Parts: sequence; structure tokens; C-alpha cells
Amino acid sequence: MRKKWKLGHTIDTGVTYIILIAVAIIFFFPCLWLILASFSKSGTIYSFDGFFPTEYSLASFKKLFTDTTLYNYPKWFLNTLFVATGSCILGTFLVILTAYTMSRFEFKARKPMMKTTMVLGMFPSFMGMTAVYLLMTQFNLINHLWGLILIYAAGAPMGYLTQKGFFDTIPKAIDEAARIDGATNFQIFTKINLPLSKPIIVYTALTSITWPWSDFILPKLLLKEKDLYTVAVGLMSLDETEFARFAAGSVFIAVPIVVLYFFLVKDMVNGMAQGAVKG
Amino acid sequence: MIVLKQKIKKFGECCRDSSWQVRLSAVFMGGGQICYGRPAKGILLLFAEISILTYFITRGWRDIQGFFTLGTQKGDAWLGIEGDNSVVMLLMGIFAWIVIGVFIALYRLNLKDVYHMQKRKEQGKQLLTFREEAAQLLDKKFYVTVLVLPVIGVCIFNILPIVFMILIAFTNYGGDIVPPELVDWVGFDNFKKLATLSQFAPTFFKILGWNLVWAFISTVLNYFAGLGLALLLDKKCVKGKAFWRAFPILAYAIPGFITLMAFKFMFSYGGPINQMIVANGGTAIGFLDLDAKWTARLIGFLVNCWISVPSIMLLATGYLSNRDVTLYEAARIDGASRWKQFQKITMPFMLFSTTPVLLGQFTGNFNNFGIFYFLRGGLYLDGYFLASDTDLLINWLYNLSIDNNYYCIGAAISLIIFMITSVISLMVYIKSPSYREEDTFQ
Repeated sequence: MRKKWKLGHTIDTGVTYIILIAVAIIFFFPCLWLILASFSKSGTIYSFDGFFPTEYSLASFKKLFTDTTLYNYPKWFLNTLFVATGSCILGTFLVILTAYTMSRFEFKARKPMMKTTMVLGMFPSFMGMTAVYLLMTQFNLINHLWGLILIYAAGAPMGYLTQKGFFDTIPKAIDEAARIDGATNFQIFTKINLPLSKPIIVYTALTSITWPWSDFILPKLLLKEKDLYTVAVGLMSLDETEFARFAAGSVFIAVPIVVLYFFLVKDMVNGMAQGAVKG
Repeated sequence: MIVLKQKIKKFGECCRDSSWQVRLSAVFMGGGQICYGRPAKGILLLFAEISILTYFITRGWRDIQGFFTLGTQKGDAWLGIEGDNSVVMLLMGIFAWIVIGVFIALYRLNLKDVYHMQKRKEQGKQLLTFREEAAQLLDKKFYVTVLVLPVIGVCIFNILPIVFMILIAFTNYGGDIVPPELVDWVGFDNFKKLATLSQFAPTFFKILGWNLVWAFISTVLNYFAGLGLALLLDKKCVKGKAFWRAFPILAYAIPGFITLMAFKFMFSYGGPINQMIVANGGTAIGFLDLDAKWTARLIGFLVNCWISVPSIMLLATGYLSNRDVTLYEAARIDGASRWKQFQKITMPFMLFSTTPVLLGQFTGNFNNFGIFYFLRGGLYLDGYFLASDTDLLINWLYNLSIDNNYYCIGAAISLIIFMITSVISLMVYIKSPSYREEDTFQ
């Protein structure tokens, strides 16, 4: 009996690992392909032997940063950084506040507001964008980076549901205990719930930095000057033959965000609510 | 109806027993508050009333008129006449309506506030000082303070554009009719055109059908793949969870447009897959070619999975770490199998916490612009009007309104997309446990 159980257990473990390895390959292979392509010597995809280049060098990266007459990659990079950081800070702030209020307070406008945001969220994001584009052209607000930041940050609270879901899972018992001790709602938020919600703040910050970092529709609509392009729009404007350059540019902007993810992902997955109630 | 009657009755009573201060406030907002010895608040309210009235006298009134006429004077460069710009007039008209709304809300607030003061006086209580009321904003009314900024932002950058586009759907704006030409209200003409005109109707219904199939299949696929992956990584026998998790996170972290463009390269004629086929003696396959209907769609599903599964996995992992472990211990003691535990504890809990996410996924996939824009963007096929057989409604919308200036038709399509997604999600959401029993898992 005992032996049979053990055998089943081994098979289970084996199958689990096989699936995991398959998943790992599926996710890793395209990345590897792109990374190696960025180091190719010839620069075009046609000289590749199957998936991978035949010779490697750093030429593509060098070209990316020095040959700026036609494609000014360094400038695009700075633009992207500016837009992403700005909208991340503003957006996270707004989303967390909205989500927290929606989770913790009972007020008359709450259900109507939740319904409204849900209804608004069902309009194709694009619809607003055509309108924003029309409005921006009417008022000559095209070609401003801060305009992008405003639009991203202002739209952020619409996606508060994930964060509200998190706050809902932090037990209200803690709040009530604090209220009995005479804490105001402001103090309950800043002293108790904010420290507990580090994982969700990190998650929010990450998602709100990646959106502008990789969005292409809005910048494409609103930024018409080549020097104001963000990396996404810039890379899209690259000629088809410049595959290695595209790969190099992609790898370069993907690296910071990937590193960021790996540093912060732990905060995200470790919910701390239960520990707080028990301890 | 009864509620309304009661309200009217109550309002009448309030009118009758109101003090002269309340009546003063009804004429000059804030007047009563000043007389009750709360000048700061009163002056603020009075100032608001004066500035709104000034706005209406100087231009608000004309804006409201412009909203209905959308301009009467056509511009003519030869005669030097600066004509009406219909789009700006529409926009300023919306703005004027908003100001009216704000004014009504403020007026109501003002009356309520001063009536409240009267009641407090009558009961012999102290009136709250301005400072005390301000302090309330950090405690009892904390939510007001917090929500001001988000609400304003959403109003300007989400609601205003959406209202604008809804209105555009009922005009003939687009094509040749853009300023300086005058735009007009046309009622439901655009919708009629979509449903009946041979130019639009066949394309519309074909795309709509594919769009629904796409949204449904990809949502289910992504959700269960993501949840499965999270549960798999959560198993006790998996060593080095961080290592295994790293691969999906890597995929998640790479900006979507890079992934999409890379996949396009991968499946293109000169791409590595075709190169390998050719090297082994085959002929190159046009995976994303004009006639590659189902291969292109299949690639779309897979690529979408590659992009969306990691995020769902991460989210599910987060929620899984929040679940109540004691429930599982109890289940194990009662002799529940792992499948039973999954069915009775994990699944309800996950569905409860992720219903909003699931809905978001559905609407997100329904309006998934990027996938086919990158994989097969800019293809116009026979039998379709400015679209291809993988295009979703949102792609068609883009082709029509951004590339080809069919603004009013585009807006009408947006409204239809909205109606479809909203009906489906509202039904699901209202029936879902996370709406009905908000407190179950708290």
C-alpha cells in the first residue's frame, strides 16, 4: 500500500517536471532567438542559419546608438523613460487610493460609481482614443510628451478592480481594532493598510509602468515628430530589413523592465494579509 | 414611484419649515452659511455661484445653442468669413452641459448643508466649525478627499471623449464632411447604414462572428492555462519555484509589441520557420498570407496565449497565497481527495476573487487590437470593406476611423462593440459571487 502511494507520487512529480520543462522552453525560446539575433553580425534575417545567426558581433548595438540620423534611438529611449516614469508614479497613486476607498468605505455613490467604471471599461479603449486624438488635433496638443502622461495616469483608476480585490482580502478586523484604539480613517490607511499592501502597490507600479513603456497606439497617434517618438513607435518605423537592429533595440528596452520584474515579483506573489491577522 | 412621492412630500415639508437663512441660501448660495457665522464656507459657495453665472452670461449660453445647431455659418476663405467649427462647437457644448450639472450638484449641496445647520441650531447643538469639517475629510469623509482627483481625471480623459464619440455616432462627421464643412445631426442613419448598406453590412457581420469566437476561446484558454500553471507551480513537489516561475515572467516582462513583431518575423516568408522548411526541401508557407485564414487565426490564439498566460499565472499565484490554508487542513482531515479540494475550495475561491479579472480578460480579448494589427495589419481582403478575415471589430474601427476618416461609422461601431461587451459582462458579473456576496471570503 505504502509502496504504491510512493510510486504514484513519483509519477506525479515526473509529469509535473516534464510540463514545467515544456513551459520553460515555450517561453524561453522566442526570447533566446531575439537576443541572439541582436548579436548577429550581418544584420539581416536572411543570412541566418535556421533560427540563429551564423556569426556574432556587437555591431547592431553600436549602430543603434551611434547612427542616429535616421533612427534616433537614444532620444526615443529617454522619451519612453520620461513618459513611463511619470505615468507610473501618478497612476499608481491614483489607482491605490481609488481601490482602497472602493474596498473599505460604504457611501451612497459607491455602487453607482463601481457600475459606471465598469460600463466605461466596456467601451473599446480605442473609441476614447479616436476622440482624444480628434480633441488633441483641434486644440493643437499633438506632440507633447506630458500630454501622454496625463492621459495614461488619468485612465489608470479605471483599472482599480484588481487592487480592490486585494484590499477585499485584507481582513477588516484589523481596521476595526485600530478604530477602537481611536485611529482616524486616514491613519488606518497610512499606518495599517498601506504597509500591508506593498505587494499590490508593486504590482500596480509594474503594470502602470509597462503599459506606457510598451504602448504604441497612443504615442503613434499623438506624436508626429520623429524626435518625440517613444521606442515602441520608433521600432515600428524601422525598415523590414533591419531585423538585427530591431532585435537590438528591443533587447535594450526589454532588459530594464525584465530586471525590474525579477526584483519586485516576490513582493507581488507573497500576500501578507494572513500573517497580519494571525500574528 | 412611491419613493419619488415621499421625496417630494419630504421636500415640501423642508420648504415650509425652512428658516430665512435657508431661503437666503436658495437665492445666494452660501448666504445662509454666512449668516449662521460660517463665512469661509459661505464665501466659497458664493464665489462658485458668481463664477458659473459669469461663464454662462459670457459664453455658456452660446455654447449650448451651438450644441444643437452644430454651426450655421460655413467658413469661406475667399470672402474672409471665419466659419463655425462644428467639432469645437460640439465639444464646448458638452462642456457647457457639464458645467450645468456641476452647478445643480453644488446648489443641492448648498441647500442641504444650510438646512442641516438650521436643524442643528434648533436642536441646540454647536455648529461644526470650518476646521472641524475639514478634519472630517481625513476621517469620516476620507473617501471624498481621496476620490476627488481620480474622478476628475476620469471625467476629463475618459468620460468626455466617450460622450463625444457617442454623440459623433449620431452625426455625419467624417469622410468629406470635416471642418470647415458643417457637420449635422443625422439620428440613427449610421447604424442603419451598418446593418443594411451592402458596403458595410456583410463585413460587419462576418467580423462580428469571428470576434465573438475569438474573445470566448482565447479567454477560456488563457484563464485555465494561467490558473493551471499557477497551481502547478504551487505544488509541494516542485523544487526551485523561483527558477520555473522565471520563464513566464520573462515572457510577461517583454513589452507586447516586441513579442508581436518578433512573432511576425518568425512566421514571415524570410523568417526562420520558413527557412527551415525550405532547407528541408519544402516550399515556404505564407502563415500570415492573404489566403491563410485559419493558420493566421491559430497563430493569433497561440501568440495571445504566450502573451497573456504569464500575467494570469502571476495574479493567480498572488490570490492563491492569500487563501485560507486551514480550510485545506480541515479538508484533508475529512479525507477529501486533491481533486475534491480543487473543486470545492480552490475553484470557488479563485472564481470569487478573479471574476473581475476574467471579465477584464474577456473584454480585453474582445478588443484585442495589437495581435492582428501586428501580425496582419493593413491587409484589405476581397469580400471585406477595408478589413481582413482576422481583423476584429476594433481593428476594423481603426482602419475606418484613423486610416480612412470614417469617423461617424467608426463611432457607431464603437457603440455596438460596447453594447455587446457590456451586455455579456453585466450578466456574468451580476450573477457572479463576487458581486452578490462581497464579504464571503473576508
